[in-house]
Amino acid sequence: MKKTFLTLSCLISLASAVFAQGPRPNDLGPSPQPVGDAGVAWYTTWDTALTEAKRTNRPIFFMAAAATCGGVSGVF
Amino acid sequence: MRLESYESVEHQEMVRKLLDGRFENTAFCLLSPDGKTQLSRSGRAPWMSFSRVGPRIGDEELTDATVKAMTRIANRYRPKGDSGNPVVQDFHSFRQALNVASGDQRLLLYVATPEASQVGIRETLSEVMGQPSIVGRFHVDFMGKEDQNWANVIQGFNAKSKRGLFIIQSGQFGQDGKLVKQLSVDASADKIASALLAANKQFSKTEARKVYSNHVAEGRRKGIYFEGNVEYGEDRDGDGKIDHRAGFDRRRGPRKSP
Repeated sequence: MKKTFLTLSCLISLASAVFAQGPRPNDLGPSPQPVGDAGVAWYTTWDTALTEAKRTNRPIFFMAAAATCGGVSGVF
Repeated sequence: MRLESYESVEHQEMVRKLLDGRFENTAFCLLSPDGKTQLSRSGRAPWMSFSRVGPRIGDEELTDATVKAMTRIANRYRPKGDSGNPVVQDFHSFRQALNVASGDQRLLLYVATPEASQVGIRETLSEVMGQPSIVGRFHVDFMGKEDQNWANVIQGFNAKSKRGLFIIQSGQFGQDGKLVKQLSVDASADKIASALLAANKQFSKTEARKVYSNHVAEGRRKGIYFEGNVEYGEDRDGDGKIDHRAGFDRRRGPRKSP
């Protein structure tokens, strides 16, 4: 639970910096989170997310984003 | 949940609904468990839902405040159900799963069986993906009708056994990948979990974190292009059309993608 909280904090901090008034993505270095460590367990379709949210009665943290930059793929 | 902004018209419509008709690359908000009620303001950054003060990098106070506000909202709901048996993640296409796995730098567990036989596997994988040592470390995708040629972009694939569970390491630009491990469709939850953890251990030793600017620059040099299902760009004035701003990279045009 603590780790989930920290991961979410990290995501929010990074996303806030990247997407609004903070530095542009090009100004950021690599993610501080080591490869292989646990991150957010994303649902990537509306149907699966909604089903899980209803099943567990938990609110939905909705995010839309692109794993591309100008058509270059493989990056958030 | 995280949807791909350029994956479909439907996804863009969701973003437009949240951003008062505008379309931007990113959007955030909290929704009720039934998805019908917005529980926070929406914006293109998480803090916009809870504060009107802009962030500065390293502004831990703002991040903490955002998390606390989210937690307050979440605490209004009494969780139910077994957290150890979640609904298993899925993607709309293998192509997108490969790209997202590359972007997140996570291994992808791909379930290559006809949809009719996926029910039992979903139950097994629910048991696997809910384990504390597994959750948040992998992506999962189930084969769909449009994914029949998925193996064409996977190195080391044994064409004689196109059915099964495949642990795949996505390539640098998420348009190809290599097979790390293949399991049978009736593999036990323990066996799948062990295979995932072993693969992840090796992956974490060999995969270096990407640097956004270097990645994009290299992709441009190499002519990498991922064809979106909808036009790239933003509609910041909300007129329903993608803005064609000066300097926006439209010179390159579409290139072939798998």
